[in-house]
Amino acid sequence: MNTAATKASLLSRVGGLQQIPTIPAVLAPLLRYLQQPVEQLDVQKVTALIAQDKSLAVQCLQMANSPLFGRWKKIDSLRGAILGLGFHRVSDIAMSCGLLNMMPKECDGLDPVALWEHSLGCALVCRHFARLISYPDPSKAYLAGLLHDIGIIVNLWVFPKEFHAAYDLARAQGIPLHEAEQSVLGFTHCDSGRLLAEKWELSPDLREVVSHHHMLQESLEHAGLVALVELSDLLCRVSGLNYGYIENREVNLLEQKGFAVLSQQCQGLKDFDWARLTFELDSYMDEVQSLVRTIYRT
Amino acid sequence: MTTAAVQPALALEGPPDPELVRIRDLVYREAGIFHPENKLRLLSDRCGRRMKELKTPTLREYFKCLTANAVRGELVALLNEITIGETCFFRNQPQLDALRQIVIPKLLQAKSHLPLRRLRIWSAGCSTGEEPYTLSMLMLEEAHGRLRDWTVEILATDLNERSLEHAKNALYGTYSTRNLNPHYRQKYFTQIAEQLQVQAPVHNSISFSRLNLSDDGRMAFMKGLDVIFCCNVLIYFDLTSKRRVIQHFYNNLLPHGYLFMGHSESLYGVSDDFRLIHLPGATGYIKGERSPAGK
Repeated sequence: MNTAATKASLLSRVGGLQQIPTIPAVLAPLLRYLQQPVEQLDVQKVTALIAQDKSLAVQCLQMANSPLFGRWKKIDSLRGAILGLGFHRVSDIAMSCGLLNMMPKECDGLDPVALWEHSLGCALVCRHFARLISYPDPSKAYLAGLLHDIGIIVNLWVFPKEFHAAYDLARAQGIPLHEAEQSVLGFTHCDSGRLLAEKWELSPDLREVVSHHHMLQESLEHAGLVALVELSDLLCRVSGLNYGYIENREVNLLEQKGFAVLSQQCQGLKDFDWARLTFELDSYMDEVQSLVRTIYRT
Repeated sequence: MTTAAVQPALALEGPPDPELVRIRDLVYREAGIFHPENKLRLLSDRCGRRMKELKTPTLREYFKCLTANAVRGELVALLNEITIGETCFFRNQPQLDALRQIVIPKLLQAKSHLPLRRLRIWSAGCSTGEEPYTLSMLMLEEAHGRLRDWTVEILATDLNERSLEHAKNALYGTYSTRNLNPHYRQKYFTQIAEQLQVQAPVHNSISFSRLNLSDDGRMAFMKGLDVIFCCNVLIYFDLTSKRRVIQHFYNNLLPHGYLFMGHSESLYGVSDDFRLIHLPGATGYIKGERSPAGK
């Protein structure tokens, strides 16, 4: 099942299938806006869009009230959220909730929530890490972390049984999910994610993140962002912000290709305190898990 | 006695108190032990106990107490509060799982070409013995598996004679043994009244001795080690002493040896010779190649 022909055929099946998720109406303009400079954003228009989708609006408020988004005073309206958190942050939140809604509720007995916890966790870690090393665009880092595994959404919808088998294999052996996918499906969520990223017309940098976060060497123009996501993703997978299982291996982040690439772009990575960042992740875990489960039930 | 109106140091309904964050950062900078946001309540409680003792009404004033004392007296008192009750069997399960499932197999592979099939583990600052006994039980669990035909030596040292006496007596109460699961409890302990006695096979691989980690002469003799555990000990050392001990650890370890420290304890700013590694749910340090400048 590992031949290039099989992979091509499976991927064409993905491309042709109707099940491949289309981006929800609310998220398309959000995504467009989020990829633009903040000064070009039309606050009124996007607020009205989020407000149209009542369920999304409620989820956004739940998330906006989480300490993960830096707010401690109760927020009870979208307008209040935008005033308190800023428009960009609220758009991040809406995008996060919107993506969660794209997860199938039931996937051949597999609980997809853990997979999404990883995406939200990775987004938060990407943004925090980006700030710590003075990466120029922490908001883009958040979006990249949130979207990096959209290929998993495709695999859950289009190949639920095969994906479940890959997940079981990864969990049983404590190996990275993409390695198990390669072995069971013949391709990984990076391959299926690439198709979805094209379909959603993601910007080139986000497409590279989605396609190459496990193959940094193939990244061309935006290796810095891909490297940032690669390192944050790995850190999440060996900590509690994983896919619902912990990889059974020893990881030295300084030996990752992403570290070498990112070091050339960010002076902040010189003498970086990785231990402290790791301990800080501890404080995300409980919040991320309870937040995701609350939103998922809404 | 006038009771000062001590503020609740932190009610985590709101953002963390900036003064508490300042204390958190001081503790990390001086002692290397970090409290992430979700552990700030614990730090707050510990500060609260000290503030009550000192009748210091605010965190701001308590911060001054921590920084004013040139001999780190109050910092040591706070560290004692932070680490109180941490000594128990199976204190850090993810760390122990990683030792058994990842580190030991890697060490065995690295040493497979050597004629002497021996592993040496050092519990540096073993206190009342729970850590070395835990390590010994883990190794016994592997005795008929991975460690078949291997000899395991566990060195357990501490500065405090009374702690060492306790360790050698190997008799423990319910608090120390709270993390013991029924398997280990039944297999390796004997109930004596309200206490549990560690059985002889667990003793056999351990040698207890008194050692001051600041004693350069004796530290230089600790050779050929594969793994060092030094948990919540170096937090009490100032930076210069800490660097000296870590330098010894580097020399004590065999190439590719491992150093494990306490939960949320870091070597950041102390040594460039060790590399931080991530293991499932735990961190550790591995002996790296020393840079030509000998940094």
